[in-house]
Amino acid sequence: MNDEIRKSVRRVDAVAKASGLAKYISDYDFGDILYARLVRSTRPRAKILSVTVPELPEGYYYVDYRDIPEKGKNRIQMIKDDWKVFAEDEVRYVGETIALLIGPDRERILNILSEIKIFYEDREPAYTIEEALACKGGAMVGDDNIYGEYNLVKGDPDTAFNNAARVVEGTYRTGFQEHLYMEPQGMVGTWEGGRVNIYASAQCPYYIQKSVSSALGVDGKNVRIKQVTTGGAFGGKEHFPDVIAVPLAVAVNKIKKPIELIFDRIEDISYTCKRHPSRITIKTALDKENNITGMDIDTVINGGGYESSTLIVLQRALLHGIGVYNIPNAHVRGRAVATNTFPSDAYRGFGAPQGLYAIEMHMSQVAKEVGMFPADFKRKYFIKNGDMTITNATMKDNVKLEEMFAAADEMSDYTRKIREYENDPYRGIGISFVNHGGGFTGNGEQEIIKGLVRMKRTGENRAALYVSNVEMGQGLQTVLRKIAAKELGLKYTDIEYDNPDTDIVPDSGPTVASRSTMVVGYLIQECAKKLKGKWDEGVGAEAEHRYIHPSEYKWDQDTLQGDAYPTYGWGINVVEVEMDTVTYEVKTTGIWSVFDVGIPMDDTIMDGQVSGGVIQGLGYASIEKCEVLDGRFRQHTMADYVIPTSMDFPEIKNKFIDNPYKYGPSGAKGAGELVFDAAAPAYADAVQQLTGKNIYDIPVTPEMIMELEE
Amino acid sequence: MAKTSFILNGEEVSVEADPLKRLLDVLREDFEALGVKEGCGEGECGACSILLNGKLVNSCMIPLGAVEGADIVTPEGLRETEKGKVIIESFADTGAVQCGFCTPGMMMAAEALLEKNNNPEESEIREALSGNLCRCTGYDLIVKGVKTSAERGKDLW
Amino acid sequence: MVKSYRPDTLPEALKLMETRDMIPFAGGTDLMVKYQSWKGTLPGFPKDVLFLNYISSLKKIEVKGETLVIGAGVTLSDVADYPETPKVLRDAVLSIAAPGIRNIATLSGNICNASPAGDSICALYALDASVVLSKSGGNRECALPEFITGPGKTSLNSGELLTAVKIPLKKANVQEFRKVGTRKANALSKLSFSAVAEIKGDTVDGIALAFGAVGPTVIRSTELEKKLTGKTLEQIKLIQKDIMNDYSAMIVPIDDQRSTAAYRKQVALNLLKNFLESGLVQEMQ
Repeated sequence: MNDEIRKSVRRVDAVAKASGLAKYISDYDFGDILYARLVRSTRPRAKILSVTVPELPEGYYYVDYRDIPEKGKNRIQMIKDDWKVFAEDEVRYVGETIALLIGPDRERILNILSEIKIFYEDREPAYTIEEALACKGGAMVGDDNIYGEYNLVKGDPDTAFNNAARVVEGTYRTGFQEHLYMEPQGMVGTWEGGRVNIYASAQCPYYIQKSVSSALGVDGKNVRIKQVTTGGAFGGKEHFPDVIAVPLAVAVNKIKKPIELIFDRIEDISYTCKRHPSRITIKTALDKENNITGMDIDTVINGGGYESSTLIVLQRALLHGIGVYNIPNAHVRGRAVATNTFPSDAYRGFGAPQGLYAIEMHMSQVAKEVGMFPADFKRKYFIKNGDMTITNATMKDNVKLEEMFAAADEMSDYTRKIREYENDPYRGIGISFVNHGGGFTGNGEQEIIKGLVRMKRTGENRAALYVSNVEMGQGLQTVLRKIAAKELGLKYTDIEYDNPDTDIVPDSGPTVASRSTMVVGYLIQECAKKLKGKWDEGVGAEAEHRYIHPSEYKWDQDTLQGDAYPTYGWGINVVEVEMDTVTYEVKTTGIWSVFDVGIPMDDTIMDGQVSGGVIQGLGYASIEKCEVLDGRFRQHTMADYVIPTSMDFPEIKNKFIDNPYKYGPSGAKGAGELVFDAAAPAYADAVQQLTGKNIYDIPVTPEMIMELEE
Repeated sequence: MAKTSFILNGEEVSVEADPLKRLLDVLREDFEALGVKEGCGEGECGACSILLNGKLVNSCMIPLGAVEGADIVTPEGLRETEKGKVIIESFADTGAVQCGFCTPGMMMAAEALLEKNNNPEESEIREALSGNLCRCTGYDLIVKGVKTSAERGKDLW
Repeated sequence: MVKSYRPDTLPEALKLMETRDMIPFAGGTDLMVKYQSWKGTLPGFPKDVLFLNYISSLKKIEVKGETLVIGAGVTLSDVADYPETPKVLRDAVLSIAAPGIRNIATLSGNICNASPAGDSICALYALDASVVLSKSGGNRECALPEFITGPGKTSLNSGELLTAVKIPLKKANVQEFRKVGTRKANALSKLSFSAVAEIKGDTVDGIALAFGAVGPTVIRSTELEKKLTGKTLEQIKLIQKDIMNDYSAMIVPIDDQRSTAAYRKQVALNLLKNFLESGLVQEMQ
């Protein structure tokens, strides 16, 4: 039954996109349009003393916090609403929005912009996790610069450490990562029907609606958001679009004319959210027989200038912090700190990649300490169905890691190669094991999202799908159509599914957290069943279906105890490398992956996800360096923030292991983030094996390897 | 302002504009060639790729004033040709298209390669696409799309 | 308002250069990045622009006697495709950017941009290249090290145009170019290394070594090259340590967004060592 749905079909959007006919936000013609440019803070941490704006020519506007309507709030509604729409009296990072300058001529806007003077009283900034914890320049948030702290405890770690024969410790660091979706951030705001309309390249139309309506002090229905074809997102268009949509909406509300706000690439790299940098210290207690008896994980992530969604990212980092292992006694501590860097936010994996990177590197290093090869050692601790998780619930998945390892080993010849390369100074091979919880953490789907989908019969053999989830490259418009078509016995091309418009679609939740296929797809499957029952009512028949939380998964959000996720995707990556001993450059010579995504909803689309996710993860591991210098991202052009080209990595050999999830459509689980998670630790493990030196930080640059080799 | 004339997708055209205006902006604004995308504006990403006198170039790096009399092909022109159709169909069938923002540029790069070499090795395809960045696909399926184009279009190139 | 000119002949161009201060525009790939502005606005050229791409005489690449002459309008792709192009230069040119840029960018533009990280410049230093600087009154020739005076700085006089690059086609049976970039393709250099040598039997008959992106300009020492000339492999082994130390003193890189000074220096010396120990040996044996 599942063989049918996984069979590859031609994506519904492929021909239009390849032909250049698909319209992205910059391809629309809104008639007489005004252009907006952000007036940004040039200081990382300062009090704003005054702003001098020259007299504006007719038709030009300066829009700032004073333009927020009386009933509205100068706050962006993310998880936490601490991020201001427009800075008022203080700035916390370089690039913070102070105002919008708007007008019909872009050259003139640039001229006026150069005449706007902002007077600051500087304060000493803190950029790094260490500087934040030391409250450099005085605490910016609370009295300790900590946005939040969580502690997860399983078993009795204290006793385990007290009785340990030895303890192995390591501290692992990951850096900022830029999404570098090919289409920069962009949107157009219009005044139509007596209200604000936003046309946006975005993942979450209802997030934007919530933030905009709150800032304007109007009901959600008084703001219309229309997603337009989106040229990649990867989490970068999850919350960040709120940060520009809200000031734009305030401007449209004031000016009542169409306004375009589209970023240049340099603006985009310089002034958008990145993946949270992390510092994770792991201690492992071993008994005399070298068995792991306990683990202590201390995670700190850099949230930047505002909290926004940072604590949810932190939670996921902690929930994945112990990886795929069943450790009897463990303490996982997590803190998120405030710094004067651009606020960090969602990026494919949402905290999990940082946690998984650290645990995977650490487990390899413990393996080395006890004289074992990484895979042999890690396999001893694989979590199994019925084992206790870090949140003290049983693992409910049928974990197929052993079967997956056998497949990975057969494809890559890992077991033989790692022995052969042990004394080879040129070649190395690494392996990583990961899982990724699908959908929102805990009871988020039930308590916060409450996703609703609607379907309608629109013709003899046609139906329409109404969901708020977006196509952003991942293939959703094809996959959701396939799911609906299967239940209705129609062709997938007979299902209508337009880019969502909040006037038309119900809120089925955001396009995030690998939830769209697994959670929304399941809602569609169930909704389609209902519609099928009403099919005979004729054209116009409608059905709705709302999320119901399966009762066997329990969660307490206050204590973070219970089933953190109803199910997990599982993954293994093997990466083989060669090193040029003259230049310390590493060349990847082989990449193999095995994934359990339940049942793939389309083999080709999933192949694309795997290849794209793994290569993005390998970029994170090797070349995507992003440093902060004087509060600015040092690599802020596309020439300097480098992502992989077609020549950086070889073809990936992948295999899927079927493992259907009962609440996923036809057994599907989340996949979009899982495919990213395993690449970085596998790459770093390969370099570690090659050099014989422990690797702690990514990206693993030739510069770093040179220092290790010295 | 000055008048600049060139051949665009087989037709003689001319435009009154500042010679320093980027060809990318001219093509998009004055000729509605919206398949030419701006991904970076600094010659790094290849989303604005076009053919200039038969050669692959980044249109963000060329001012209008430099193309007097030139022969320019954009995705709008390529998609109307047999070769263009083969590339589009091959890309669609192999799963080479995800978010699609890089895809028209990739098509131009594929066409430029196949004109020179109608039976490219994988390494030659990867080299030919190296100036066209993609963040979604990891390139494997795009490489496959070009290979498939070469196979299907054996008699065309 | 900035103006632009499109002369069809070199004399016309030189005449224009006499009358006003202009930015010569060949391929323009560096200039368009340098003066890039908000999308939809004009690039912010500070001076009038002189397009060189309509001058057909500048598009020639040819061998004249023992010299390869590359006109100022010749693109990097054309240089790479030309059969007489020395291997070290071809490899350097093919390591620059990607096909789409190499089809526009010119070798002369690369030189006038005078970036210490200019990959072709490193190879051209090792090839003893010179440039032809033209003015209405006549031409002068200038060796590359005299032309490039610092990062982004040249000795081009007002009214002068770089019209050609000249490369003496000397015998060189060993030619090596190595670039260490920020990634495997379409990358900017962290550093580069060029070596050109002629080995006769077991003896070095001539040698030139150049290092890019490890100093304000490309580093080359004819003095140290002389010490290597006329030596056999065994003799080079004896002086290798001293030679390395002397180069080490000359290599003074910086930290920037692409790499570190320590890495650049170490790898430059590693490349040199590797070349002396294996690059040369292969031909000698």
